[in-house]
Order: sequence, then C-alpha cells, then structure tokens
Amino acid sequence: MYAKTTRYLIVLFLLAAAFACSKKTVPPQPGLGAEGAPGGGFGTEGGGGTLAGLDDAKWRELGITSEQEKREFLQRAEPFENEDIFFDYDSYVLSEPAKRTLDKKVDFIKRYPKVKVTIEGHCDERGTTEYNLALGERRANAAFQYVTAAGANRQNLGTISYGKERPIATGHDEASWAKNRRAHFALIY
Amino acid sequence: MRPPTNKVFPSLLCLLCVLCVVHWDSPVDAQRISIDITQPNFKRIPIAVPDFKALSADQAQLAREMGEALSNDLEYSGVFRPLDPQGFLENPQTMGLAPGEIKFADWQRIGADFLARAAYQVQGQAVRIEARLYDVVGSRMVFGKVYEGDARSWRAMVHRFADEILFALTGERGVFDTKIAYVQTQGKNKEIFVVDFDGGNPVQVTRDQSINLSPAWSPDGSQLAYVSFKEGGTKVYVANLRSGGHRLLSGYPGLNIAPAWRPGGSQIAVTLTKGGNPDIYLLSSTGEVLQRLGQGWGISVSPSWSPDGRRLAFVSDESGGPQIYVMDVGSGQKKRITFSGNYNTCPAWSPKGDWIAYSGVSGGSHNIFLVRPDGGETKQLTHGEGNNEAPTWSPDGRMLAFSSTRQGGSSIWLLLVNGSGVRRLTKTGGGQELPRWSPRLSGQ
Repeated sequence: MYAKTTRYLIVLFLLAAAFACSKKTVPPQPGLGAEGAPGGGFGTEGGGGTLAGLDDAKWRELGITSEQEKREFLQRAEPFENEDIFFDYDSYVLSEPAKRTLDKKVDFIKRYPKVKVTIEGHCDERGTTEYNLALGERRANAAFQYVTAAGANRQNLGTISYGKERPIATGHDEASWAKNRRAHFALIY
Repeated sequence: MRPPTNKVFPSLLCLLCVLCVVHWDSPVDAQRISIDITQPNFKRIPIAVPDFKALSADQAQLAREMGEALSNDLEYSGVFRPLDPQGFLENPQTMGLAPGEIKFADWQRIGADFLARAAYQVQGQAVRIEARLYDVVGSRMVFGKVYEGDARSWRAMVHRFADEILFALTGERGVFDTKIAYVQTQGKNKEIFVVDFDGGNPVQVTRDQSINLSPAWSPDGSQLAYVSFKEGGTKVYVANLRSGGHRLLSGYPGLNIAPAWRPGGSQIAVTLTKGGNPDIYLLSSTGEVLQRLGQGWGISVSPSWSPDGRRLAFVSDESGGPQIYVMDVGSGQKKRITFSGNYNTCPAWSPKGDWIAYSGVSGGSHNIFLVRPDGGETKQLTHGEGNNEAPTWSPDGRMLAFSSTRQGGSSIWLLLVNGSGVRRLTKTGGGQELPRWSPRLSGQ
C-alpha cells in the first residue's frame, strides 16, 4: 500500500512538473502566489481561491496540519484541477480514458474528504447557447454520477454548466473544439 | 457590491413617456389610401424625404440627421423606396411646409408618389416636430401631426412619424418604435443591451461583470427576463426597465435557463433541471412552479409560445440530435416538426402564428429556416453566409433579427421574411448574439 502510494505520488509529481512547464505555474509551496482555478475568478461563482493562498484556518478545515501533508496536498491538487475529461460532439457519454481520469479524482476526493469540489460542464462553440447549457450540465452530471457511484461523498460535490460560455481553447477548429468538450474539476477554497 | 438599480433605465423608458402626439394638425383629408403590400407584384413605393426644416438656429445638424433617420426607417420597412435627395429640385431649408407651398408637379416629375415633409424647432431641452405626409399624385395632404418632447428623444419622434406613414398607407402598423435586446460580449463577460430597431440609442441593461444570456421581453415590454451567472450557476432574473430594478425569478437547484413570457399574461416558461432532467416548467410571475410542461428523458430547452399562448415550440433531443417540437400545453401532447438535418434549434413562433423560425445546420453551417407549425412546409432564408442563429420576429411579422458571423465575429442582422432587405443592425466590436425583438412599446 505504502509502495503504491509512493509510486503514485512520484507519477503525480512528474505530471505536476510537466504541467508546470507546459501549462501554467502552480508553485508547490504556499506563499508564492498562483493563478486561480481555470474557469474561476469572475463574479461570485464557486472557486476563486488560490492553492497558494491557503491560510492556517483553511488548512485546519481541510484537516491538514503538517508541512509534509500540505506539500503532498498541493502536489496532488494541481493535477486534480488541471486534468479534464473530454467528450465527443453532442455527447455526454463517458469514454474509457475519461473513466480512468475520474478514478484518480475519486482517489483524491477520498484521500481529502473535507475538500469541496465543483464539477464544471463545458461545450464547444458549435450549436446554440441554451442547448449547450443543458448539454454541459449533462456532462457535469455524468462525471458527478460516476465519482459518487465510486464512493466520493456527494455532500462535498457540486455541479455547474457553463455551456459554451467559457472555452479553454479559443480556436475555431476540431483541435480546439475537442479541448472544450470537457468536464473540469475545480476545488473550492 | 453591485448597485441594486441601474440608472440608465429611466432614460430608456422615459423616452417613451415624453414622446407624445399633441394634436391633429388640420386633417384636410384623412381618407385612407390602401396599398396592398402582400401582392406578389408589389413594388416599393417611391417617397421623397427631404432634410427636416430647421426653424431655429439651435442644433442645425438635426435637419439632416432627422431626415436620414426617417429615410432609413422607411427603407427598412421594405415598403418604401426613398429617393436620392441629390435629385430634389428645392432647398429643404427654404421650401415651405403647408399644402399651398408644396410644388406637387416638381415632386411628381422626379418620380415621387409621396412626400414626407417636416420641420423642427429646438427650445432649450425641448423639441417640437411638425410633420406632414403628402400624396404627390393626388396633390393633397394625407395627414399632419405635431410631436413634442425632450430633445434627446427626437429619434423616438421620427420613428413614430415613420410608423404613422406606414399605417396611413398600408393599414398596418410598423415596428419603428420597437427595440431589440441582445447579448454583448465584453472581454470574458457578456452583458445585455437594448437598441432601437434601426441600431440607434444602445442602452446597457446589465452591469454584472458576469455572463448574462437569453433576454426575453415581457408582453407589455416593461420587463426583460434574462439568465445570469452572477450568483454562481445559471439563474433567471427580471429587469424592470422602468424602475431599473433587478429581481431573482428562478433560482432552483441546477439549471434555470431559457425564459419565455407567455403571451397576454405574466407566466413564464423556463427550462429547469431541479427534477434531474432538463424539462420545461411554467412559472408564475414570482417564480413559483405552476406546472411541468411535458417530461422526458431528453433535453427540453428554448420554449417559444404560439401567439395565443396555448402551444409551445421547443427543442428536444429525445430522437438523438436536437429537433423542433410543438407541444399543446393543455393536453401535453407533442409533435416533432423538423425532420431535415440533425441539429435544429432556436424556435421562434411568428406573431401571426403562421410560421416557426428556427436555426438548422445545413451544408456545414447554421442557417435560418421557416417551418409551418404542423411541419407541413419549410423555407430556407439564409444560405451559408457564416453561421446564422437565434431568429426573432418583429411584432408585425414582416422581419426577423438573428445573429450571424457572415462578416467575421457575431453580430445582429435583420432581413425581411421574403429573404430580401438583409442589413446589419449592430456594428460595434466584441460580438453580439441572442437578439430578442420587443413588442410594440407605444401606441398600442
């Protein structure tokens, strides 16, 4: 068990390092400032906090006290937030790769049972606003159903649909569309 | 954090209040000239619209602006063909206004059937417009009216004059006093605006620094329902355009989207997912659920009422991709009416009840179509000029507004129902979408 966890941590750490290079920088320790969660940072929606901005009270809420636990949490939280699951056009069916990614989300949520998570559903720019809001909600719900069926505590999970309103890729081609047909897990601080 | 009211609103609606027709001005001959614009051989009516005559030195530039606004209205109606002022034989600032001063033979010589002649006087904050319509061929005045109000609302007065010209000659009221609500992209945010039918006088309705979508007019035009993310997930709010206040209408768990006011009343159809599935519900004016309208395992969104308020067109994906259905609200019976193409959305029932406009994917892009409410006949109005979506009818049923990407980013466009008269309404940057045409806002 210990060996498995260690192996997992190494993988996660490498993943985190890869993301840190390719995508955006989330420092592995508090106090250096980091961007908000993707999709967060406007209005009064959930999220909006930053990993690095956690104060002692928040750590206590999460049940995390030692420096080592904090580092481990931050290392694992980064890929938890940055690894999305993807869908086919006009579909909310979970693919096998999506399920494997969701399994990792479940591990995290079980490891940190006090974290609160918003599952965001997103669509590509094609199609109409209102239909896409409904489709985005179906995508968020599909992920929600999967992780709760696998034992994640539904009390700490919420869903929100952004439809096609918050694309992560702004191109007008299949490569961008494929990135935007996603469910995203955002930690709420 | 946010101000509870929006100070722009009063100015929006006070325009309608200050605008008044003070009296009939010598109705020499009110006999109606009946022109049937529905005939297939109908040709646009040639009309001369000289610059308005400035009776005071104040705001001399209005002479041309008012003439152009009137000319544009008449052109947009699809009924008139305003003549080029270059060909006019008289200086509009010296020629007279009264019937005895009009040189009918000259106007007939340059091809005008009618002459719209007006003068204006600015006094402090107020403007007075004296307007007359002449029948050139019959050498007589059709009507004369005086409009008075706040000088800033001169556009509303000119629209009113255009409306009365159309009514006098066709027996049908125009839509020159109507407005179009739409969604404006501002960076990461989307805010709701209202603009005059001719693209003038844009007014911002929401200032949430959030995403606001799906504006929907109340039947009397005094309120706008809309969807906002300003407090988290989608909720439906109502803006009172007179007071400037905003209130939450529907904040049930899950989605609260796609508001549509029921004609002739205060009930509102919306899509909610509080029951687990995106279904259409009927809400009271204060947001209580009155009824769930139909129920299925599929997505049901984008309700649009028939003019009698008895039926709803909506989008359902229960057959696979999204298609247009019509539901009888009383019996709950529904019928699919679109069968061509695999992505048909955005239904909009016409004010006369005879068509449902929608957006369908054909040839790789979204286009505007019309279909009979029983699915019997289909017409295609746009043909691959970018993506064309979210059609909405003018209250007289003669025009559609829609969003189009034909010139790059999304903007709002208008066309006549016969497919002609295509023109761009919004010309600002940032992208505009989801237009919704107001009901008539005055003189009902």
